[in-house]
Amino acid sequence: MLSRRPLLAVGLLAPLLAARPTGLRAQADKRLLLSGSSTVAPLVLEIAKRFESLNPGVRIEVQTGGSSRGLADARQGRVAFGMVSRALKPEEADLQAYTLARDGIGLIVHRSNPVVALSAAQVQAIYTGQVRDWAAVGGPARPISVVHKAEGRSTQELFLQHFGLPGSAVKPQVVIGDNAQGIKTVAGNPGAIGYVSIGSAEFEAGLGTPIRLLPMDGVPATVAEVQRGRFPISRPLNLVSAQAPTGLAARFLAYARSPAVHDLVREQFFVPV
Amino acid sequence: MNELSMPAATARPRATRRARLKDGLFDLGIRAAAWTLLAALFALLLDLAVQGFGHLSWDFLVSEPRASGRAGGIAPILVSTLALVLIALAVALPLGLATAVWLVEFTRLGGPAARGLRLSLDVLAGVPSIVFGLAGHALFGPWLGYSLLAGGLTLACMILPLLIRSAEAGLHAVDPDWRRGAAALGLRRSTALRHVLLPAAAPALLAGVMLGLGRATAETAALLFTSGYADRMPASLLDSGRSLAVHIYELSMNVSGGDRAAQASALVLVALILVLNLAALRASDRWVRRRMGPA
Repeated sequence: MLSRRPLLAVGLLAPLLAARPTGLRAQADKRLLLSGSSTVAPLVLEIAKRFESLNPGVRIEVQTGGSSRGLADARQGRVAFGMVSRALKPEEADLQAYTLARDGIGLIVHRSNPVVALSAAQVQAIYTGQVRDWAAVGGPARPISVVHKAEGRSTQELFLQHFGLPGSAVKPQVVIGDNAQGIKTVAGNPGAIGYVSIGSAEFEAGLGTPIRLLPMDGVPATVAEVQRGRFPISRPLNLVSAQAPTGLAARFLAYARSPAVHDLVREQFFVPV
Repeated sequence: MNELSMPAATARPRATRRARLKDGLFDLGIRAAAWTLLAALFALLLDLAVQGFGHLSWDFLVSEPRASGRAGGIAPILVSTLALVLIALAVALPLGLATAVWLVEFTRLGGPAARGLRLSLDVLAGVPSIVFGLAGHALFGPWLGYSLLAGGLTLACMILPLLIRSAEAGLHAVDPDWRRGAAALGLRRSTALRHVLLPAAAPALLAGVMLGLGRATAETAALLFTSGYADRMPASLLDSGRSLAVHIYELSMNVSGGDRAAQASALVLVALILVLNLAALRASDRWVRRRMGPA
């Protein structure tokens, strides 16, 4: 009478556990593990689902955690591919990168902000705290809230690199993580300026979110311009691996870079390559 | 009492009136605090309901997510969440109960072993969840990978201090006469525990379980590293599965255009916590009644 409940619980759990007693590493030809960038993860997850449906029995596991994590996992061979949302640096030449898509990075301000363009020098002055009021760059008298991305985010590295700023020189009021968070921060603050993925910003602006993309070096910040290769700040979204992929990994890579997934790439507001 | 205050009232009517006014204000202030709290809760629920209800449907509950969760439903995520919480409770409840019983019934109050254990439990309760996530990843990752089991075990570690401390408080509050009575009747310690002490401490145990359930279902940071990100239906406890809280975080922070689905998922999460709490309440009621007979 008393021991029936625990027994029942064990009885229910046992078959679940026994379903795959050897764990994740069994059947290497049927399973792939990927980890890394939170920007790339949703896209790869959708590609993986389609690939699974075309290849019954195959399981593609996608885990997030950031580009740095993807690089480390790929290097140590813990995953088939790491997901990295930027180009590899010279010191990462031990890895191979395969580009799935591109993503442009644009400056956004609140829609009510009358400033229509900023020069590179003005952006530098704003982000280093030399200019603290919109009046100094042709806007209304209103303090500027500088929205910056967190250390280790590849968007942040790319932004600093483009404007030639050392990370220590930036004086941010707000530090954010993902793109959607950046868009929400700027939409909620008429004095804010930030930089986010162009595709997401274009989509949100289209939905009526009160943000506006600023042109960069005279080029409008649109997905179309990124696709044409004219927009100055853009980054590749990569799968990286330590060794040349074989077998299932090679088949998945080929599929993920084929035109068959271009609709999925566009659905995530990225640019197919 | 009456004889003492009456003469003072007749002697100093002005002072009494002031005291009454002060009492009245105090009363008002306390009521206002309580109502503000209720209003905040209802404002939160109402906002959530208004934002999320339009997206909510039976289909949303029973279908798989599509387009990174912008479309489709949350069926696999619900299943993963329930599995995680059940694993956490199944592991933490017996362990927590046993530890609390040891602390209260089998050690000297304030002895070095008990003091040390209490201190480490309090430290453990204050550890940020992200640290549990990293520890869980390092501890369970190598042999369980990203799996519901790894996530559930990590959650169990997280809620253990809550369970133990509240069970301990409940056992402490039991009248010592009951223990003496049980001993006088010649009951074995295990029998006294099962039939007298634990049922008497049940409300406190239940409070601990509810707190633990709340913390477990709300967890994101620790689960990203242990149970993972996969949003497909888990086939076994060794599969990776995304919890509701992780799904909400992902949809609102990382997926543009996922806000509606995030609000609807949040509504489901609140409802789920409500249902789990009610279930815990009923289970504890039935258990107490079976052990002690109707009160």
